Amino acid sequence: MLVLAAWETGFRYQALLGIEWRSYAFPYPTKVLDAGLQMLNVNTFFQDPLHAGWPTKPADGGETKLIQGPVYKSALLEALAVSGVRIALGFLLAMILGGLLGILMWTFVFVDELLGPLFLGLQTLPSVCWVPLAILVLGINEWGIMFVLVMGSFAAVAISLRDGMRMIPPIYQRAGKMLGAHGWRFYAYVLLPASLPALAGSLRQGFSFAWRSLMGAELIFVVKNRGVGFQLSTARDFADVGQVVAVLIVMVSIGMAADKIVFGNIEKRVHRRFGLAPA
Amino acid sequence: MTLVTDPLPSTRQAPTGPGTGRLVLRHVSKAFAGAKVPALDDVSITVEPGEFVVLVGPSGCGKSTLLNIAAGMLKQDAGTVEIDGRHVTGPGPDRAVVFQDHGLFPWLDAFSNIEFGLKMRGMNKSERHDRVVEALKMVHLSNAGQKLVHELSGGMRQRVAIARSLVLNPACLLMDEPFAALDAQTRTLLHAQLQELWMTTKKTILFVTHSVGEAVRLADRVIVLHSYPGRVRRELKIDLKHPRDFDGPVLQEMGHLVRREIEDEVNRVNASMAGDFWEPKKAPHLGAGVGGMGDGI
Repeated sequence: MLVLAAWETGFRYQALLGIEWRSYAFPYPTKVLDAGLQMLNVNTFFQDPLHAGWPTKPADGGETKLIQGPVYKSALLEALAVSGVRIALGFLLAMILGGLLGILMWTFVFVDELLGPLFLGLQTLPSVCWVPLAILVLGINEWGIMFVLVMGSFAAVAISLRDGMRMIPPIYQRAGKMLGAHGWRFYAYVLLPASLPALAGSLRQGFSFAWRSLMGAELIFVVKNRGVGFQLSTARDFADVGQVVAVLIVMVSIGMAADKIVFGNIEKRVHRRFGLAPA
Repeated sequence: MTLVTDPLPSTRQAPTGPGTGRLVLRHVSKAFAGAKVPALDDVSITVEPGEFVVLVGPSGCGKSTLLNIAAGMLKQDAGTVEIDGRHVTGPGPDRAVVFQDHGLFPWLDAFSNIEFGLKMRGMNKSERHDRVVEALKMVHLSNAGQKLVHELSGGMRQRVAIARSLVLNPACLLMDEPFAALDAQTRTLLHAQLQELWMTTKKTILFVTHSVGEAVRLADRVIVLHSYPGRVRRELKIDLKHPRDFDGPVLQEMGHLVRREIEDEVNRVNASMAGDFWEPKKAPHLGAGVGGMGDGI
């Protein structure tokens, strides 16, 4: 907050400070705020200096509607809906694919030796690097975006699930066998619940990779449905630095909210159940 | 895998009948990869139905290895393990194991942990419920069924683990240092409770421990193992009625006997490794023979 205030003050009194602030290149907080609200169909003029009707009326006194249209039809919310559907489907796919591979890697040493180093390598590859391949193979469409998303996140899911399952105390498996759990029952009633902490961790890991990949893909793919990443590229095209920063803030906020609120809580609940964290 | 085909009578039942729960280990040998001396070398032990046998010995003598082989969790190199004449080829609910660190499932509460084995057998829900309630009562945990594993004390966890095994009505119970991690008071309490349980259920029990006191309190027969390689060194029968007075003089004497036996064994091993033998002073009050058994070697 203090930083933001200092930042804004610096912009307002730039003449006093003897600096020249190129606001088209380097936005100041109120400009970002205006741009963000504009994406929600709300017109504000926080960036203009104080005047009559501020901040809902422009400085020249002209008439503008505060509300440009229904909020739910705003560019940002529509983009969020599009990205939301994509991440839901893509993340589900990545979890299934990564989950199966992770279990295989944990079960069979040769699968692990074969795929483990490769998957670790894939994690160092920025997911946007899948874009050219996706465009050539699948074309500029939803499938291409989905491909980038899944490729960017399934390896992380597989690796973190494998690592987590390696932490399962072997005594649970021995106890399960002793109590007569065999075949599918052993997997369903012993291994699956025993791997819940691992699964919760890999969910969290997988989501952050998936979200990252999706944003990257949407930034480059121009398709009919416009996601959050596309808003970023639009802002760039219009040289609207305020909107660029506003979209970035939205992206980070969603990533943080999902990580801390959704997946962090799932993890916390599992850990509490298992007695791994203080209740 | 041995199929459990018994009709699952109630756990509170009288002994499953004569001749059940006879555990026979015949000429069992086991060597771990890389070890010079086998962990077990031609060990034969028979545990009669309803008998309480305790294995003691210095660490590294293979007592836990022996128990794991009996449980079917470890494969022996030679020899056979039989329970009531059936060959043991893998772990199964006819030989229920109570582990040192309980091995309860943390994702289930106490009730569901006990229920688990019955569920794996495909028993219907209402019958399962009755059995578990009964088992909880047996280990004096009727009010703790809804507790999660980490909410239970160490002693309670072991009691749940015992109940989880008993509810399956196994032919025998294999206990691998089940009370080693508990504090002294809890351990004494659980000794008494285990005795009570054993007397009501008349299960065959093979029990491994470090503690001599524990061994002589609980056992009908104490088997002292010889180490490097693991063999049977000495068997001591403890002909005392159950439930026992744990502080009684006879048990004290037996304890001395077993302790001497283990000390000698530790010394023998040290001597063979370092070439130096340390002779402990005999306790003055240990005269000739408690029950005519001498005082060891």
